[in-house]
Amino acid sequence: MRWIRTAWFLGFAAAALPAGEPLQFNRDIRPILSDRCFACHGPDKNNRKSLLRLDVEADAKKDLGKGRRGIVPGDPAQSEVYKRLISTNKTLRMPPAYAGHDALPPAQVELIRRWIEEGAPYQAHWSLIPPQRPPPPPVRNPNWSSHPIDRFLLARLEREGLAPSPEADRTTLIRRVTLDLTGLPPTPAEVEAFLKDTSPGAYEALVDRLLASPRFAERMTIRWLEAARYADTNGYQTDGPRDMWRWRDWVIDAFHRNMPFDQFTVEQIAGDLLPDATLSQKIATGFHRNHRTTAEGGIVDEEFRVEYVADRTETTGTVWLGLTIGCARCHDHKYDPISQKEFYQLFAFFNNVPEKGFVYNFGNEEPFIKAPLPEQQARLDWLDRAVREAQAKVDALRPKVERAQAKWETRAARARPEIDWNVNEGLVVHEPLDTPKDLPAEPGRVGQAARFDNQRFFDAGDVAKFNYRDPFTFAAWIRPESPKGAILSRAEDYFEGTGHGLHLIDGKIRLHVIFRWTDLGMRVETARPVRLHEWQHVLVTYDGGMKAAGVRIYVNGEPQELNVLFDQCIWPIETKEPFRIGAGGGLRFQGLIDEVRVYNRALSPQEAAVVPLLDSLTRIAAIPAEKRTAAQADKLRMAFQERYAPAKAKAARARLALLQKERQRYYDTLPTVMVMAERAERRDTFLLNRGAYDAPGEKVEPAVPAVFSNWKPEWPRNRLGLARWLVDRRNPLTARVMVNRWWAELFGAGLVKTVEDFGSQGEWPLHPELLDWLAVEFMESGWNVKHIFKTMVMSAAYRQSSRVTPELLQKDPENRLLARGPRFRLAPEVVRDQALAVSGLLVERVGGPSVKPYQPPGLWQELHGGAGYTPDKGEGLYRRSLYTYWKRTVAPPGMVNFDSPNRETCVVRQTRTNTPLQALNLMNDVAYVEAARKLAERMLLEGGQTPEDRIGRAFRLALARTPRETEIAAVRKALARFEAHYRAKPDDALAYLRQGDSPRHPKLPPVELAAYTGVASLILNLDETVTKE
Amino acid sequence: MTPHDEHRLHLTRRALFGRASGIGLAALASLLPEQARAKGQPGLPGFPNFAPKARRVIYLFQSGGPSQMELFDYKPRLTEFAGTDLPASVRMGQRLTQMSATQSAFPVVPSKYSFAQHGQSGAWISELLPHLAKVADKITFIKSMHTEAINHDPAVTFLQTGSQISGRPSLGAWVAYGLGAETEDLPAFVVMISPGQGGSGQPLYDRLWGSGFLPTRYQGVKFRSVGDPVLYLTDPAGFPRGNRRAYLDALGELNQLKYAEFGDPEISTRIAQYEMAFRMQASVPELVDLSKEPASTFALYGEDARKPGSFAYNCLLARRLAERGVRFIQLYHRDWDHHGNLPKGLPKVCKETDQAAAALVADLDQRGMLDDTLVVWGGEFGRTVYCQGRLTPTDYGRDHHPRCFTVWLAGGGIRRGFSLGETDDYCYNITADPVHVHDLQATILYCLGIDHTKLTYRFQGRYFRLTDVHGNVVKQVLA
Repeated sequence: MRWIRTAWFLGFAAAALPAGEPLQFNRDIRPILSDRCFACHGPDKNNRKSLLRLDVEADAKKDLGKGRRGIVPGDPAQSEVYKRLISTNKTLRMPPAYAGHDALPPAQVELIRRWIEEGAPYQAHWSLIPPQRPPPPPVRNPNWSSHPIDRFLLARLEREGLAPSPEADRTTLIRRVTLDLTGLPPTPAEVEAFLKDTSPGAYEALVDRLLASPRFAERMTIRWLEAARYADTNGYQTDGPRDMWRWRDWVIDAFHRNMPFDQFTVEQIAGDLLPDATLSQKIATGFHRNHRTTAEGGIVDEEFRVEYVADRTETTGTVWLGLTIGCARCHDHKYDPISQKEFYQLFAFFNNVPEKGFVYNFGNEEPFIKAPLPEQQARLDWLDRAVREAQAKVDALRPKVERAQAKWETRAARARPEIDWNVNEGLVVHEPLDTPKDLPAEPGRVGQAARFDNQRFFDAGDVAKFNYRDPFTFAAWIRPESPKGAILSRAEDYFEGTGHGLHLIDGKIRLHVIFRWTDLGMRVETARPVRLHEWQHVLVTYDGGMKAAGVRIYVNGEPQELNVLFDQCIWPIETKEPFRIGAGGGLRFQGLIDEVRVYNRALSPQEAAVVPLLDSLTRIAAIPAEKRTAAQADKLRMAFQERYAPAKAKAARARLALLQKERQRYYDTLPTVMVMAERAERRDTFLLNRGAYDAPGEKVEPAVPAVFSNWKPEWPRNRLGLARWLVDRRNPLTARVMVNRWWAELFGAGLVKTVEDFGSQGEWPLHPELLDWLAVEFMESGWNVKHIFKTMVMSAAYRQSSRVTPELLQKDPENRLLARGPRFRLAPEVVRDQALAVSGLLVERVGGPSVKPYQPPGLWQELHGGAGYTPDKGEGLYRRSLYTYWKRTVAPPGMVNFDSPNRETCVVRQTRTNTPLQALNLMNDVAYVEAARKLAERMLLEGGQTPEDRIGRAFRLALARTPRETEIAAVRKALARFEAHYRAKPDDALAYLRQGDSPRHPKLPPVELAAYTGVASLILNLDETVTKE
Repeated sequence: MTPHDEHRLHLTRRALFGRASGIGLAALASLLPEQARAKGQPGLPGFPNFAPKARRVIYLFQSGGPSQMELFDYKPRLTEFAGTDLPASVRMGQRLTQMSATQSAFPVVPSKYSFAQHGQSGAWISELLPHLAKVADKITFIKSMHTEAINHDPAVTFLQTGSQISGRPSLGAWVAYGLGAETEDLPAFVVMISPGQGGSGQPLYDRLWGSGFLPTRYQGVKFRSVGDPVLYLTDPAGFPRGNRRAYLDALGELNQLKYAEFGDPEISTRIAQYEMAFRMQASVPELVDLSKEPASTFALYGEDARKPGSFAYNCLLARRLAERGVRFIQLYHRDWDHHGNLPKGLPKVCKETDQAAAALVADLDQRGMLDDTLVVWGGEFGRTVYCQGRLTPTDYGRDHHPRCFTVWLAGGGIRRGFSLGETDDYCYNITADPVHVHDLQATILYCLGIDHTKLTYRFQGRYFRLTDVHGNVVKQVLA
């Protein structure tokens, strides 16, 4: 079986090596050394098992002592490496038997022998040498194509004794290129037009049309979403929602406008750091906020924050560099020249985001920005203008109002009985405690006050119910006799209980807003205690912003200095407890409480000073204006504006308030998107031993691995510098990695099959010169994505027939050499989108919030409980799969069945399996049954009168071609069976036609439609339908 | 597994799934080991690596973290310590979750439930598990399990995939990949979930039965209690089996025409997959049809076993799946996370699960299947000896505890009536025979005849395995 082993290890390259051609280290030797030797004799210094290091030429050839050398160029017999490989002594043989390793197969040993004999020349790892544009090689049959891609491929085919296949027929071609470039099939009209256009430029015109379509951008975006681990939920544990669709739409827009890939990169990695960054450039940085985040109670914040930074580092490595950088997180990379320290130097670029590990579970986590769509921004601008105008009107009326107020003041000063006023707006509880139920009363600040004896309390019932995002104000007069007690609460009656509470602790005023004491809630207290045995007014406001910074505490109207004890108010609070005065948190009150007021909004500082002001309006009005305190003046003004001002002024104020409210309400509905940002003070980065968050080692600075020599000193050592480096002309990897991935999307496999690994364990490129040619073409075209796609699909290689001959299957079962066109199953989203398109159900609309198409019931509940998944009604059912709501821990089954990555981590390699679950999905999922019914309607309505014509219509819609006689015969057999069945059982027809939300065509006879629906489903399930031919 | 095995397997699979028309089929067939040519879905050549004791696994995952102190790990001295603070000498500064790390006190709380010894083995079992007590002599308890994560998501992921980081194949996927299945009509790896009624459920995630970087065909197939037992299994209303047969005949014929013209072996694979789908449509309903189960079955498993979606129902299905050659049967019960209200929640979840879990062991045994079926019962970690939240005379809760917890194993090469491992008087630290998660995984694979260091898959240039670079088979628990 030696041929198999050789084929595996060396791929086509060496298997087809003509005798006598010199060996190439990178192609022939490095893969063996890397796979079998480097783990112990490679880059990882901590795991190196002896002095011998084989990945560095000088080390491999140096004297190891006693005259022994690993490699003696030209002399295998003296080379320790060769001697150990062929040793029959089990303790000496390498790779070591004692560690469970097999000996190298003889063919590999022979390759190493030959290589040493030829002088053991090393090469730098191929992918780390910047690409140069190689000239296309000479070919024997230059007539096939002059396209450089074809010249490279043909030269190789000719060496293998293979010839390219003829061009695919035109229907196959238009379907292939349309599916490839737009992710949707061509319409029969498009096919017809193409068949009619016999001009030499017809195909190119077709390609140009497809590339210009927004569908191209949508199709490009989905692969990018997989690489970017984009989803609509956080991904860990309870897997709460997030909103990143504005970033997704940025990607679509960038592809549509053909944004140069270097700019595409810079904006996503570091758009926020560009000078005068635009909203669009900030939105772009959402790329690196797409990683999973956790809101699981009890997690260690730093552990997960580190996890996020590591994810960004690894994802950047995979997406742009094709390197498995993550391998160096816990130790030096075992195969590639990336030390653990260098991993953390890269990590340092992403380690300066002002973020937390423990995130909000019900929406976007900071940092995020408002990201209105242009039309939303226009509406917001309009509202802002309206608010300004309303304000101007109020201002314009001010002199008049002031005059009116002055007049009123003179009347007010004489009013008998005295008139008074307090802040009323938003008042939801007012307990004057003049006659406090079961409690004794004593003279208080206003009328009577309630006396509390450290036991009994006042139950105010089911009022003042606030959740964690509801703003509120609590206010009361207190005369405490003990430094510890509870003023008011709506919470479980023990100290760490859930709910809201206002307490006295060590004489300090303390606010508790608690879901779970230990990790979810907020605790804030005043820096200084209040005085005992004295009346003082206490007022607390919270703005509902989930931050302790949104809390203010006033004593006698004076804002207090605060200490934040705990600041994690990010979880809903529910309590059935009543509103208690003089009790809460297991505490009681000793002393007097009077005039408890609760508002459902956060009062302003001016209002906070007015609430405790006991001077009546009459008294204040009697004080000369210049002698009034600020609070007194405010009170008069507020009272006048609310009650006594002229109707016109009141109306102007009301209008202003209304518009402000409307503006706020609208502003709150605007979409947000999580973005990258930099902390003002840079966070230090340390090498983390074993990759553990709590085992910091050496401090490191941001830098790229030393093996790359293209860092320019003028670049800043931050994400912007990193981004510039990624797309620098001399970066050896980015362009190669990208063109290779796109090549794989079109041709089925990359020129480097391991699209995610261009390192030493990755595959040696099958066509290194072609890869380099494409990479240079890409960069020199100005990183022009559409250009590179056009270049690839214009090649004759792409246009070949995909027919498989026994000879081709034998010589090249995976079609790596491309002696035939690509033929493989459509991507998961294309399978569904195509069914929607050919049935006419597809609703095309670019962008917007994610939608919820059909999903079998109960999938979310069985894993998460809760309300579960509710499919959309109407067009949300029929949008392209790109827009399907993606819950990471319960990914859409219709996508995952067809091998979609689950979006938990970055994935750039597509897999294609062929399973019975896919068959069931395509036959029975309501989405496909409905599509079949709609396709059947089209067959009947558009397909003419005969079964032949109708079947022909379906073939043209789904396959872009006309059926053959044999095919029609096979379909008609099934049709006849279905017709017979539904004629006999018309109820079955009705039941069958009831699938899906879209209405059944009322004019079509159900029996016939049902039979054709069966046939349409059959056609949607054909291998050819779900395959790009 | 070496690369050339992997390559050979690739070719083998091509042959089996009819993809290798261009390569001499006869030549390939000679490469196949005997068992791969037998009925069923093939595993890797060379697997099992040695004679297996277990041919299949039923894993009863108790998600949330069952309290070892209330169930298995009898700690009489806790009564003495009740209400006292957990001594620093016991806690040793080990990290706690952020749910209890900032508690002002860590009062020790003993189990409310009494323990007694059962069977000839004298196993200590809580009064909450009266049924399990009856099969104590068929079981090995490991009281010295420990793990690395202290939160649900990473801890369950770690137990089920060998890594806290997502993206790795699950235990069942590894086994399906290595051993295939003994059935052609059902998947190799089946998953069933019961939510529990106690309100202490934690979410689960697809990745727990995912295939990670293995091909997706190895991922667990969920058997569901709502709607179709397998997603999309049932033909649409109004489309009876006769129609489906005619449909598949025509589809096969059309695909065959295409194959004749294009020669792509992928087409014949697709034809075969549609036929397997058709067989599943028959075999799954037969599987979930309990009407032929005698009354004695429900006496054994409890009447709950008639209720789809209950743990008992899933246990009964597990036995039926085992009988039909499914390789790995994974149950999850989601109701063991007792941070508070433990005295209310724990008896409830025990009542929901105890009888059926014990019944499964007894039933397999009476059918002679326990010897080659490995049953595993356990959660992702244990619970703390100290009270989380408010301690009252009638109420308490416990936080997550990764330092020690109990799992039990039965059948399939495991000793009967045995207990391994000890913990200290506080049930906080392990004092003898620690068993790490990777050790448990290595042991499960061992029972299946798999050397856990050999079941590997090359991904991103590295050979990955379930146990990473760790894991030792726990020989003491083997029969």
